[in-house]
Amino acid sequence: MTVSELTQNGLTALTLPDGDRSIEGVYMGDLLSWVMGNASTDNAWITIMSNLNVVAVAVLTDVSCVILAEGVELPADVKAQAEAKGVNILTSELPSYETAVKLYELLR
Amino acid sequence: MKELSLNILDITENSVKAGAALTQILIDEDASTLLLTIADNGSGMTKEVLQGVTDPFYTTRTTRSVGMGLPLLKLAAEQTDGWMKVESIHISDDPENHGTKVEALFHKDHIDFTPLGDVVSTLLTLIQGHPDTDFLFRHSIRGGEKEVEVHMDTRELREALDDVPLNEYEVIKWIEEYLNEQYNGPEDAEE
Repeated sequence: MTVSELTQNGLTALTLPDGDRSIEGVYMGDLLSWVMGNASTDNAWITIMSNLNVVAVAVLTDVSCVILAEGVELPADVKAQAEAKGVNILTSELPSYETAVKLYELLR
Repeated sequence: MKELSLNILDITENSVKAGAALTQILIDEDASTLLLTIADNGSGMTKEVLQGVTDPFYTTRTTRSVGMGLPLLKLAAEQTDGWMKVESIHISDDPENHGTKVEALFHKDHIDFTPLGDVVSTLLTLIQGHPDTDFLFRHSIRGGEKEVEVHMDTRELREALDDVPLNEYEVIKWIEEYLNEQYNGPEDAEE
């Protein structure tokens, strides 16, 4: 499944510079240094963090998209940076766990 | 990072990479705050580099030679309503007096405060990995139930040890005990 396809299944894109990225698995975490060492390429990364460092960690780990859970808002400067660095950011009204369950169903 | 001591390790490694002969790691705690200072006499940073140092993209764009250390320390401090500041003098601006000083203030009573963690292990890791550079460590805890003053200066140890390298197993073990005794007192040093 690609990131663009995800947005047709109830998740809203905040930035979508590279919608053709495919999603292979899901990683969940809010402690950025931990995510940096443990998320894998092509994961969809679910988090409630939304600062500039999130975009950097997404670039470093090469995840296919970031999903902000619980309807967390994305500051304008972070959004601009994500666009510039080609980082897809989606938002979900659901909490992290329910978002992950939904992805599980979609990716199955 | 789950412990501040890992941030300390990360930042101090940068100091060593910057060619510091001496890196000072100072921790001042009172009942509600923790002030961390890491000051080195390495090559320092130019104004340009300094400006970008907390921008994760400035450091990650090419080779990640500096890493995410400072952006993550800043985040950890700000998450507790604290702050981080970095001052630096580049070697080309002042060949006599150059280096970098990082200061970060944490509010310990904030729920997002990351515990200091195992700072003794961090120091031993640094000494073991860089036996030829010097570290000055001071940790003072005041205003609480227990007052603690911990001090370690590898220059003093070096003098006392003559030519024995600081990363010899026995020396590292001795430094570990020396630090633990200062934290716990000689009686209950062993756990």
